Amino acid sequence: MQTINGAQMIIEGLVRHGATTVFGYPGGAVLPIYDALYQNSDRIDHIITAHEQGAAHAADGYARVTGKTGVVIATSGPGATNLVTGIANAYLDSVPLLAITGNAPVPLLGKDAFQEVDIVGITQPIVKHNFVVRDVTELESTIAEAFIIANTGRKGPVLIDVPKNVQESEVELKGITATKPEVVPISVLSEIVQALKSAKRPFIYAGGGVVASDAGEELRELSEKLSAPVGFSLMGMTALSTDNPLALGMCGMHGKYAATVAKSECDVLLALGVRFSDRATGNISVYEKDKTIIHVDIDVSEHGKNVKPNISVKGDIKAVLAKLLPQLSDIKPSNSDWLARVDELKLGNARQEGDFTPQIAIETVGEFMADDTVIATDVGQHQMWTMQYYPFKMSRTFLTSGGLGTMGYGMGAAIGGCVANQKKRTVLFTGDGSFGMNLNELATAVSQNLPLVIVILNNGVLGMVRQWQKRFYGERFSQTTLGRKTDFVKLAEAFGANGFRVTNVDELKSVLAKLPKSPVVIDCRIDMDEEVLPMIPPGKAVDDMIITKFNASAGGDS
Amino acid sequence: MEFTVELLVANRYGALNRITSIYARRGYNIDELEAVVADKTNSDIYRITVRSKGDEYAKIQVMRQLEKLYDVKEVKLT
Ligand SMILES: Cc1ncc(C[n+]2csc(CCOP(=O)(O)OP(=O)(O)O)c2C)c(N)n1
Ligand SMILES: [Mg+2]
Repeated sequence: MQTINGAQMIIEGLVRHGATTVFGYPGGAVLPIYDALYQNSDRIDHIITAHEQGAAHAADGYARVTGKTGVVIATSGPGATNLVTGIANAYLDSVPLLAITGNAPVPLLGKDAFQEVDIVGITQPIVKHNFVVRDVTELESTIAEAFIIANTGRKGPVLIDVPKNVQESEVELKGITATKPEVVPISVLSEIVQALKSAKRPFIYAGGGVVASDAGEELRELSEKLSAPVGFSLMGMTALSTDNPLALGMCGMHGKYAATVAKSECDVLLALGVRFSDRATGNISVYEKDKTIIHVDIDVSEHGKNVKPNISVKGDIKAVLAKLLPQLSDIKPSNSDWLARVDELKLGNARQEGDFTPQIAIETVGEFMADDTVIATDVGQHQMWTMQYYPFKMSRTFLTSGGLGTMGYGMGAAIGGCVANQKKRTVLFTGDGSFGMNLNELATAVSQNLPLVIVILNNGVLGMVRQWQKRFYGERFSQTTLGRKTDFVKLAEAFGANGFRVTNVDELKSVLAKLPKSPVVIDCRIDMDEEVLPMIPPGKAVDDMIITKFNASAGGDS
Repeated sequence: MEFTVELLVANRYGALNRITSIYARRGYNIDELEAVVADKTNSDIYRITVRSKGDEYAKIQVMRQLEKLYDVKEVKLT
């Protein structure tokens, strides 16, 4: 058996579990790990970001694209606390992430040593599990366990805190791998088959669980077999191609009109890998009315947490659908009335009016991209418009912060997603506000020479918050008009990237037609009064949906 | 309605903290808590008993969240 130190053990563990690229930032408490990375640079790549938060989001984006566990490394104290938003983001969107932090040496723990924080305590409510490794002999098995926890069942982040002296201690490499937990057999499928066979207006609601289990193909088959329209949660958006006629787009607060209304009118709702967030359901009692709800999710604690299902099944979506599909082989759906109704609803999907609307900008970018182009967003109106209008074709191509709604997610995610997708061209749709929270990562995009296209839908305001102020706070625009003078073209150039300003669709097209293979910032000037529509006000139901643009002089909706 | 949950828990750093924080975060007060070695010959596993108040929904939610904890080996309603 080979004797190595703890830091080298970390590298061995990462390599054995398939990590080929990790993200992070060095510091005093992880010097041994960075030394081991240096010595193993032929086996594992490390990308240094501008800020640990960017590294955490990069690992998250990498994980969403590949399905593998993303890895981020940070030093103790401020390095570790800078990861917190990134870890919470991965937790709320069920993204497999492994965070490794250094800490003060074991004898100094608990003595408020330099850069000591209780990162295990701090992150405890936002991880699936976390560990402090005080004894180097436990390091190898802990890493193996961490990979299993992060990437089985409902996926999520795991943190391992490794005090510096543990990284320096000698230990034997044993070749430990952890065993995956047993998969419980799937039951009550016959009830589902019964419900689906008697459905007159079936509707499938597909979430992140479909994408996480790579069950897009099974979902397509199921929807065709049942002639059932499909709506998505934000996390489920890429489960089907947007050009599939049964794919209606996202349901919920800012969902597509047809998707949200069809979901409310269905008689059997088959929910696959969703958690029924408040943004997706609105008023629960209205939501549950007059329908049979079937909830399939691998996390039993989601069954009945927000919505009471009539039938619930625990299981991985791909495994459940593989069992379900053969049992539906003789089904002959007779729901042409329902499909006609859905087609009618599609006419209600609004287009934005104007010459250079966010919709036109997003659709135009889509025309220039490949089917497998990874699209990242930040958080705000631009995010919802991207969800509504970008022509997504393939699974795992949409990186967006759903549960936490993290402004500042986008640059890191786009970098991680680009690296994960063989450094192919990658797009970030961001807002002027959000970009201000993570534009430091332009430095990373430039140093890595990544072909990122950063489209700032620049409305000069914190548009999403402003929209709420307009609708619900009497147009008192408190702190949402930024009044900044940032020149994004010069900013891009200062970072060593290219920058362009566009004010109409022709200018945008000419920039897109000759994109370099390096980072580009496109400052896209749009109207600050454009709204995300439709909109269901918080806590309200589908009948309260706002469809038309706010008109101040008319005192409300036009 | 009162309900008591009995847990078998690995004796690790912070395990008790993880359990109590499930109650706190989901908004249920702990009325009584007891932690003892499950088996006198083996201090690796603790038996933790928690008495709390809540309706049927609370009871099921708490149980299912507790079941997800890595350090928790068994959850029983008593
Ligand atoms: C870190 C963080 N802080 C605050 C918010 C609240 N918030 C949600 S959207 C938004 C405005 C975003 O502005 P911008 O990035 O310009 O996007 P726009 O809505 O204008 O497209 C704000 C402040 C948030 N989601 N995340
Ligand atoms: Mg803005």
